Amino acid sequence: MTIDPDMAAFLQEGLPTHIGTRNAALEPSGARVTAIKVDADGEHVTVYVPLVSAPPLLDDLRANGQVAVVAARPADERSCQVKGTFVESWTPSAEEEAFAAQQYARALQAVEVVGIPRSGSESWRMSPCVAVRFRANALFTQTPGPGAGARLR
Amino acid sequence: MSYRLESMASCFQGLIPATLYTCSKDGIPNAAYLSHVEYYDPTHVALSFQFFNKSHQNITENPRALVRLIDPDTSQGWTMRLRYVRSETSGPVFDSMALRIEAIASYCGLKGIFKLLAADIYEVLSVEKSPEEDGRAEGTSWIARDRRASLDPVFTMKALQSLGDRIHRAESLECLLESILAALEEFFGFNHSMILLTGRNEGELVTIATRGYADNGVGAEARFGEGIIGMVAEARKPIRISGLLRAMLYAYAVHKRATEQGVVTHHDRIPLPGLAQPESQLGVPLLVRGELIGVLCIESETPYRFHEEDRATVEVLGSYVAIAIQNMMLTERAEALDAAPAPRPAAPPASKPTAKREVVYYRADECVMVDGEYLIRSLPANIFWKLVTLRTAEGRTEFTNRELRLDKSLNLPEWKDNLETRLLLLRRRLEQKCPDIRIVPRARGRFALELGCELVLQEKP
Repeated sequence: MTIDPDMAAFLQEGLPTHIGTRNAALEPSGARVTAIKVDADGEHVTVYVPLVSAPPLLDDLRANGQVAVVAARPADERSCQVKGTFVESWTPSAEEEAFAAQQYARALQAVEVVGIPRSGSESWRMSPCVAVRFRANALFTQTPGPGAGARLR
Repeated sequence: MSYRLESMASCFQGLIPATLYTCSKDGIPNAAYLSHVEYYDPTHVALSFQFFNKSHQNITENPRALVRLIDPDTSQGWTMRLRYVRSETSGPVFDSMALRIEAIASYCGLKGIFKLLAADIYEVLSVEKSPEEDGRAEGTSWIARDRRASLDPVFTMKALQSLGDRIHRAESLECLLESILAALEEFFGFNHSMILLTGRNEGELVTIATRGYADNGVGAEARFGEGIIGMVAEARKPIRISGLLRAMLYAYAVHKRATEQGVVTHHDRIPLPGLAQPESQLGVPLLVRGELIGVLCIESETPYRFHEEDRATVEVLGSYVAIAIQNMMLTERAEALDAAPAPRPAAPPASKPTAKREVVYYRADECVMVDGEYLIRSLPANIFWKLVTLRTAEGRTEFTNRELRLDKSLNLPEWKDNLETRLLLLRRRLEQKCPDIRIVPRARGRFALELGCELVLQEKP
């Protein structure tokens, strides 16, 4: 499965984005992510997860590898979800942290459009991050309405 | 559970989307945004189920779920571990969630499509702070910056007492309605409000008084089932919407998808009443012994302006206001019946006005146009036409409510004709549209029709 450039651009434009995992008892876990990056091959995705939230998610990922990431654009509620299999994690470089911070700033702008001021999230601990890379194996539309949840790829 | 759900009311406003995490029986996690999470009881929450999707399929296979919410007051994120228990399609929680969704749906032609299929009830197994969404200090409001001290019960009681005093001092329906809306602003800080009363036609409300709008909007009609006001009237239950902009965007997204898939073919959008861009709306039914007499609606451009406590306060207020309005209407009716007949004919005016206005009455539509512009329709239109024709034919300037009541051509119902309300509505419309045609109260049950212009009357089928 590959993510085409248009979809990659949508995911990376700076949107509220969340990651979900699960443990051996099939109990889900989740967190807000700081940023998302689609690799040039369109087959792999890296999400930057706030360090403070990462430990249980990394435990799940190392144990079973299953991951889901959902992003939505508040202005029109366009939303999609990428599912995949965990590949690796690492401590991001300063450059990566800067990339994540810039994309997160755009995400705050995106929610301001619908009347939610960024001042509320100033105290959130969205950095430093842990980079989590996974191979994408399915893409779904999550835009609300009839057909929500349909598989795109 | 270390945190009490009862103390987390702010999280359940739907202002900031929640995130729901589930997992299929074969171990594939799923993450999705969710429009509504509602408090159900001290150990349960209700999640909106609007579309058959993967989340819903997952929880029927594997009841474990996790939902993340954000408190709009403090920006603290909360993580709740849940276990799906059942789905409800009736009951107070379902009704409250369904009404709010239907009110939004009706604004964009999606009634019946954008709806709540069920309220999914989950047991809350644990509540923890979300580590990365670290909130501000308690009490530093994030979004609703202009909230007043309405949460203070002492303040609320004092405000209700003050409002009660105003209501008792009102000497006419007009004065009463103005007092109510002025007091809502003065004592509660609700700057934009309106009262609509049931009309002559079944399933219709007519705006009788407003406050805080550039255009007073008196005479504007709302049909049952349309928008927040129509939904309040239809269900006879209060509705509170926070973050209307986001909710509307959500509904429009649904509309777009529904149109693309041929589920809806046209966009029958109904204009929002009052403010051009309301963010919060609160509507309460005005009920007297179970009978709907109208709707009180307040609005704000601030998201999350009205809290649960405000809804409860305004609901109590609504029942008090409803009785006051009903009593005043009955009093005015009784006094009008006792009023002495109007003198006739009146002396001609000292000087004839030079300006002319063309008044056209459309008999079939019961509608009056003045200089080509809509003035009013239905019973107030019939009354207006009666007055201006009498004035032109007989030179009369003064009239009584009693003679209008006895006039068979107006076809007033024998009981609860709401004549005083219709006269007030007509007066307000004239003030707004034709200030040189005035209905001026002279005494209880008696009024004058004063003209600053010459009327050219025309009746059409």
